[in-house]
Amino acid sequence: MATKKVTYKEAITEIEEILEKIENEELDVDELAEQVSRVSALIAICKDKLHKTEAEVEKILNEMNQ
Amino acid sequence: MTVNRSGHCYLDLIETEAGTDTVIARCRATIWSYTFRMLKPYFETTTGQAFSNGLKILVQAKVEFHEVFGMSLNIRDIDPVYTLGDMARQRQEIIRKLQDDGVFEMNKELELPLVPQRIAIVSSPTAAGLQDFIDQLHNNPHHFVFYTKLFPAVMQGTDAPRSVMNALELIYEYEDMFDAVVIIRGGGAQIDLACFDNYELAFHAAQFPLPIITGIGHDKDDTVLDMVAHTRMKTPTAVAEFLISGALTFAQQLNELETHFIELVNEQLEANKDRLMDAADQLNLLVNQFVSKQTNRLEIAGIQLKNQAESFLKSQQTDLNKVTSNTKNRTERYISLQNHILEQSVQELSFTFRKQVLKSENKLTRLEQLLKSGTTGILRNEKKNLNRISEKLRLVDPQNILKRGYSLTLLNGKIVKSIDQISEGDQLETRLSDGIIESIVEKISNKE
Repeated sequence: MATKKVTYKEAITEIEEILEKIENEELDVDELAEQVSRVSALIAICKDKLHKTEAEVEKILNEMNQ
Repeated sequence: MTVNRSGHCYLDLIETEAGTDTVIARCRATIWSYTFRMLKPYFETTTGQAFSNGLKILVQAKVEFHEVFGMSLNIRDIDPVYTLGDMARQRQEIIRKLQDDGVFEMNKELELPLVPQRIAIVSSPTAAGLQDFIDQLHNNPHHFVFYTKLFPAVMQGTDAPRSVMNALELIYEYEDMFDAVVIIRGGGAQIDLACFDNYELAFHAAQFPLPIITGIGHDKDDTVLDMVAHTRMKTPTAVAEFLISGALTFAQQLNELETHFIELVNEQLEANKDRLMDAADQLNLLVNQFVSKQTNRLEIAGIQLKNQAESFLKSQQTDLNKVTSNTKNRTERYISLQNHILEQSVQELSFTFRKQVLKSENKLTRLEQLLKSGTTGILRNEKKNLNRISEKLRLVDPQNILKRGYSLTLLNGKIVKSIDQISEGDQLETRLSDGIIESIVEKISNKE
């Protein structure tokens, strides 16, 4: 299921891990660029999930029998 | 229990055997309307419980007997405190049982997702609070998306536990589709909550695999269902706020992380930039130092080279001078030596030569004298010999021989000594003392 691809928790955990790495200066500049795009992507995914309706979920909910 | 039009309440009082539903005593009772009008609200506000079937009550009653209807109790007063105590006792019993079953904390142990977005709602479709709840969720000011699905259930009365359980079972089939279950009851009277103090319902709810959030709409004691639920909220509105605040907290956390992240990245970049600049400065400095150092060394080396070259040249010059003067001296010495030797040789040679010449002169003189003295004797002898030989020679002169009659035969100027030298036809010359005869050979014959 599309929404299960990255959960909020996984996203936050990954972002925090990356932040920690940066704080501990474990990343060189080249890796930094890579991680920047990764974090941006994760944040975008989370924001999308928070604010944009996923048609797929709605469809499943509507089709549910009661 | 029935209440008729005129407001009189007719009810059956029963006693059941402990632990079973077997009735062991029964009695009819009535509460006249003027009493009932006062008793009912008092009971309900005190107990928070609708005055309905299934309650255990303590009453003050007057026993009456009627010829047609038989014996009945005319209830004058009800002590709600007794019922309250009984309800509390029953509830405690249920809680203890759930704890004994080991399920009491189970739903609380589930992890509520960071953002519960997909909500299964268990409620009565007609409840006023339901639509408010849904509107509140969907029109939240932060524009978070929530997915809601209603699973209808009866929310009051004795049917409620079974109905709610059915709804939960249905949700269970779609477990993966939801983040949480919300059980709400739209506002209204805070009565008839006893149905949620149900063992079976609590037992199911506690073990439900999704977190359950309750908003049953009361502020008094929690029902058992509230107790076993993951999160207990007082009203549906509070539940909606709870869900929205969850999303909001997450969104804020996300923003903070984002800000923090950007700061960190910028810091890191700045630090890297600084390091780069520092390194560049350092490099510049080092290079300059190195260059000037090398320049110095080069200059020093240049000076040293010049000095050394000069001193070397000087020393070479000196050496050369020495060698030159040495050579000159030696050459001169050698030449003078050679000259000397040559002179000596010349003197020796001239001396020897003179000696030799002198010797030779002496010898020559001696030889001359010897020759002079010797020649005179020899000449005399030789004169004698010559006279003798002349005499002899006169005797053997061919002319003389020829005069004596002998002749010479020549062929082509050569003396013929044998017949083998000639052949017939040859022209022979025959010399006589007074002339020459020429003849042709006619015949040759041997002596014999």
